[in-house]
Amino acid sequence: MAEEKYPINIWINEERYEKLKAVGLANLCEEMLAGLKVLRVYANDAQKDKILKVFPTAKFDSATTKSIELLPRDVKDKMFDLVIEKKSVDIMDEFLSKY
Amino acid sequence: MAEIGHGGKEIVERIMDPAQAKEKIKGLKQIPIRSQIANEVIGIAYGFFSPLEGFMGKADVDGICKDMHLANGVLWSIPIVFDLSDAEISDYGIKVGDSVVLTYQGNPMALFEIEEIYEYDKKTICQAVYGTTDDKHPGCARTYAYKDKFVGGKITLINRPKINPPFEPYFIPPLEMRKRFKEKGWVRVVAHQTRNVPHTGHEWLMKGAWLQTYGELSIEKPIVGVLVNAIIGEKRKGDYIDEAIILCQDELRKSGYFGDHNHLTSLTFWDMRYAGPKEAIFHAILRTNLGLTHHMYGRDHAGVGTYYGPYDAHYLLESVKNELNITPVYSMNWLYCPHCGEVTSEGLCNHKKEWQKFSGTVIRSIILDGVKPPRLIFRPEVFDLVMECAEKYGFGSPFVTDEYLQNRTPVFTIPPLG
Repeated sequence: MAEEKYPINIWINEERYEKLKAVGLANLCEEMLAGLKVLRVYANDAQKDKILKVFPTAKFDSATTKSIELLPRDVKDKMFDLVIEKKSVDIMDEFLSKY
Repeated sequence: MAEIGHGGKEIVERIMDPAQAKEKIKGLKQIPIRSQIANEVIGIAYGFFSPLEGFMGKADVDGICKDMHLANGVLWSIPIVFDLSDAEISDYGIKVGDSVVLTYQGNPMALFEIEEIYEYDKKTICQAVYGTTDDKHPGCARTYAYKDKFVGGKITLINRPKINPPFEPYFIPPLEMRKRFKEKGWVRVVAHQTRNVPHTGHEWLMKGAWLQTYGELSIEKPIVGVLVNAIIGEKRKGDYIDEAIILCQDELRKSGYFGDHNHLTSLTFWDMRYAGPKEAIFHAILRTNLGLTHHMYGRDHAGVGTYYGPYDAHYLLESVKNELNITPVYSMNWLYCPHCGEVTSEGLCNHKKEWQKFSGTVIRSIILDGVKPPRLIFRPEVFDLVMECAEKYGFGSPFVTDEYLQNRTPVFTIPPLG
């Protein structure tokens, strides 16, 4: 059975969108909820547990979306910058190695 | 005419005239209380918790733990207890038969006639109320934090709380609420329980419940209302600030998504226990006392984490509906369907593979990321007001921060006894 993956939604504001466009990554965005752009990075079970431990304000929305939400904006910015740097959404191992 | 509340008992405000109170409390011992207890004193005194007249004795707690009933046979699901440590009991020198003054914010708030001092096993309470003894459950954590002994006895408010701006228009106790309903000509009113700023999923929950509540009534006249009853109590970091919750709920009416003829916003002081099904019963009791005829229950009402099944609250309500004087209105989740191009219900739409679910948590996440949600998901007037509240009341954030917890204006204050 494939390992469960939990999305972290990085909601794309104008500033983030301009950065994505500049490096040719705008196609990584998905469209959600009547026009919102979102970039999804994924955590596995162990990574999810670590995120919830390291960032106490974060919440796993177990009831509705099964996504990891409420990470502070500067944490999302760091994840986003790593996506830009690596040109990939597969950044969780590297991101968490600093914590 | 007597106003009848939960359990068929008349709602009586247990509030003493200040001049009489001044005489009555002369020479009595004073016990300072924390905000949890102050909230419950208000709940008891104004009749939100009718038929309770005070903090519970052992027989009531026993009855709740054993079969969800008070000692007098009335359905009740969550113990309302006053706790003190052994050291405090000894230091204050209090005993059964004493009357003491409960003080809050340094001023006298209520008279407490001590009828009983007892111990109770906290794990038994947790298992009975929360269905778990896990200390990670916030309700269990609160129960384990109670001090050594419980003190039971009647409460009389001797000093009305001053409700501070911007909350004052929204504190509408049971007897006043019932008058308002009569003035509006509402013959049925459905409760919307909330701790949230509303997104359109909440709005459609209310609209769906309003339609269900109308039922067979003629729709020629506005005779059915939605009462938003916001729970105002202990805050956790990351919650919406109280000011944003209450003002943004009312904004749905002010901006015309509802109107005066079908929508009213109010608040109740209560610290959420996250007791899921048992809290659903408690909410039914609370809103019965407020004079409501119907109560909406969505998925996982008052739940937390994965402790309860999504519809456990519905099943428990069904099992005791003959003892409730309020009709539950059940609802499934509302979500966004890109195919329909609208917010719709799981029970209506069949484009399952395309569904995009959202929740209050997801909306908070969007706002945290500095993004304005589309109007189909979050009303622009509400968004603008959230941001205004952040500046005006939240020290720059619409969410609870340490700064907010330390420096906010309390929702109510207890003035000196005048």
